[in-house]
Amino acid sequence: MPPFLFWFFALMTLGFGAGVIINRSPIGSALSLVLSFIGLSTLFLSLNAYFISVIQVLVYAGAVMVLFLFIIMLLDLRAEERRKINVVAFAGGAAVALALFVQVYRIIGALGAARQAFPPLRSGNTDDVRRVGLLLFANYNLPFQIVGVLVLVATIGVIVLSKRELR
Amino acid sequence: MQAAVLEISALVLGIFLLLCEAFAGALDKRRLAYGGIFGLGLILLASFFVTAGPLQPDAVGFWSFYAADPLALFFKRFALATTMLVLIMMLESAPRIQSGLGEFFALPIFTCAGLMWMASAIDFVMIFVSLELVTMSFYVLVAYTRRNPVTLEAGVKYLILSALSTGFLVYGITWVFGVTGETSLARVAAAFSQPNLERAPALFGAVLILVGLGFKIAAVPFQIWVADVYQGAPTAVTAYLSVGSKAAGFVVLLRVLSAFFILPQVQRLLVAVAIATLIYGNLAALPQTNLKRLLGYSSIAHAGYLLVGVVSFSGAAVGFYLVSYLLMTLLSFTVLIVVANSAGGEEISDFDGLSKRSPFLALAMMISMLSLAGVPFTAGFFGKFMVFDAAIQQHQTALVVVAVVTVACGFYYYLKVIRAMYWESPARAAPIAFSQLSRVTMTGLMIAIITLGVYPQPILRALSDASHPVTAQR
Repeated sequence: MPPFLFWFFALMTLGFGAGVIINRSPIGSALSLVLSFIGLSTLFLSLNAYFISVIQVLVYAGAVMVLFLFIIMLLDLRAEERRKINVVAFAGGAAVALALFVQVYRIIGALGAARQAFPPLRSGNTDDVRRVGLLLFANYNLPFQIVGVLVLVATIGVIVLSKRELR
Repeated sequence: MQAAVLEISALVLGIFLLLCEAFAGALDKRRLAYGGIFGLGLILLASFFVTAGPLQPDAVGFWSFYAADPLALFFKRFALATTMLVLIMMLESAPRIQSGLGEFFALPIFTCAGLMWMASAIDFVMIFVSLELVTMSFYVLVAYTRRNPVTLEAGVKYLILSALSTGFLVYGITWVFGVTGETSLARVAAAFSQPNLERAPALFGAVLILVGLGFKIAAVPFQIWVADVYQGAPTAVTAYLSVGSKAAGFVVLLRVLSAFFILPQVQRLLVAVAIATLIYGNLAALPQTNLKRLLGYSSIAHAGYLLVGVVSFSGAAVGFYLVSYLLMTLLSFTVLIVVANSAGGEEISDFDGLSKRSPFLALAMMISMLSLAGVPFTAGFFGKFMVFDAAIQQHQTALVVVAVVTVACGFYYYLKVIRAMYWESPARAAPIAFSQLSRVTMTGLMIAIITLGVYPQPILRALSDASHPVTAQR
C-alpha cells in the first residue's frame, strides 16, 4: 500500500473514531463508527490480513452496526441531543485520556521493535482463512467451546430480560 | 477420572434444567432449584474422585489452557459449594422474582461452570473467555428484577463499568502478547525472566491486566460500582457476586502474579492498592445504615485483607481467608434475605430487636458479624491471623499496621448490627417464617464457622498439598 493511502485510511479511522464521541446525535455516532471500521478494515488489508479485513466489514460494519442503527431509529432517542455537556466530567475524561495517550506514546517510543523498519510482507496467497480455522478448531478448541456457552447464556439473558412479565 | 468432567457435568445439568423448564409444562419452578442443588452436590462429591496432576509446561492444545492441579481442584469445590448455597438463598427470595423463575435457577449453574474454568485457566485466552462467561451471566442476574428502578440502575452500572474493565484487561493482554509473543502464563513468566525483556511495555501490559482484575475483586480505586450494584441486585445475586466472583478473581490473580511478580514494581503497586483498599473499605462502611450497602463496603475491606495475603506470597492464607469469607458472608446474606422478606427492608433498623422475634436468626447474624469482624474462636479470626502472619514474615510492617488499625475500625460497624438486634426493642413482634432448608443451611454454616475457628486443620491440610504457584516461584 502506498504511504499516502496508509495515511488517508489511518486518519479516516481516527477521525471518525473521534466523531463517534463528539457527535451528539446517536445516528451520527453510529454512522461514524461504521466509517471508522471501514478505514480499519483497509489497514488490515494492507497487512495481507484479508480474512480479518473482510470480517471487519461483514460482521462489525455490516451486521452489528446496522442492527445498532435499527435499534436507535426504533427507540427514537432524543434525550442525548438535548443533554448539555458537563464541563467538569468532560475535563476529567480528557485528562485521563491524555494521560493514557502520553503513556502509550512514550512506551512505544521506548520500544525497540518500534524503531526498526517494518519487515516486507510475503507476497502471494497467504491462505489465512484455512490457517485461522485450523488454529481455532484445533489448538484453541477449548476457549472456542466456552464461547459457545457464553453465547448460550447471553441468549437466555436477552430473552429473560426482554420478555414481558407474565401475570 | 479427568477433572474436565466436572465442568461438562455442570453444563449438562444447566442445559437439562433449562429443558425441564421449557418442556415440563406446569412444573413447580422451585423443583428446578432442588434439582440444581442436588446435581451440584453430586458434582461436588465427584470432585473428590478426580485425579489431580501437576502442570505440564510444554503441553499443547487442551492442556495448555487447562490445569488440573490441587489449587484448581480446591477452587472448583469452592465454586460448587458457593453455587449450592446461593441456590438455597435464591429459593428463599423466590417470591420477589416476578417472572423467569426457571432461568433464575438455571443461570447460576452456568456461572458455576465458568467459575470452575477460571480456577483451571492457565492461558490468557482461557482466562478471558471464562471470565467473560461469568461476567455475562452476572449482567443478567444483577438486573433480574428489572421492574425495580434501583435494580435497573445496578444492572446498567455493572454492565457499563464491567465492560470498561474488560476493555482494560484485553488491552493489557495484547501488550503482554506483543512483548512476549505468548499467551500461556508459564511461557509469559519464562519470557519475563529473560534479561533482554522490554521492561516498560511489559509493565504497562501487566498493570492494565491488574486494572481489569482489580475491578473483579473490587479493589480501590476500582470499587466505585460496588455499593450501588450490591444494594440494587437481588440479595442472593449480591451474595454470589461478593463470594463467587471475588474468589475467582483472586485465583486468576494468584496465577497471573506468578508471572508478574518477576517485575519488582508490581509488588510495590499491589502493596499500595492493598493499603488504599483497607482504608477505604473500612472507613466508608462506618456511616452506612443499609445493611446490604454495609456488607458491600465490608466486602471491599475484605478484598484488602486478601490482597495483604497475595502480596505476601501466601496462597494458603488467601485460600483459608476465602473459605472463612464464604461461610460468614453467605450466612449473613441468608439472614438478611429472611429478615428482609418479613420486614420489607434492608436497613439496620429493620433488625431492631431481632433477638426477641427470632433468637435463631439473631444468633446466626451475630456469629457471622463476629466472624467478619475477626473475633477469636471464629473462622474469620484465623483467616486474618494467617494473612497477618504471612505479611510479618515478608516484613511488610506498614501493611500490617494499617491492617490491624482497620480491623479495630471494622469492629464498630459490625457490632452496630449486633447492638440493633440485642439492645433495641422490636417495631413488630410477629415471629419470622422461613423454610426448613434455610434453617439447616444456617445451622451448618454456624457450626462450620465455629469449628474452623477452633480446629482449622482440615482446610489447612487441603491447602498445603495445593502446591502453590506463587510460593513455588519463590
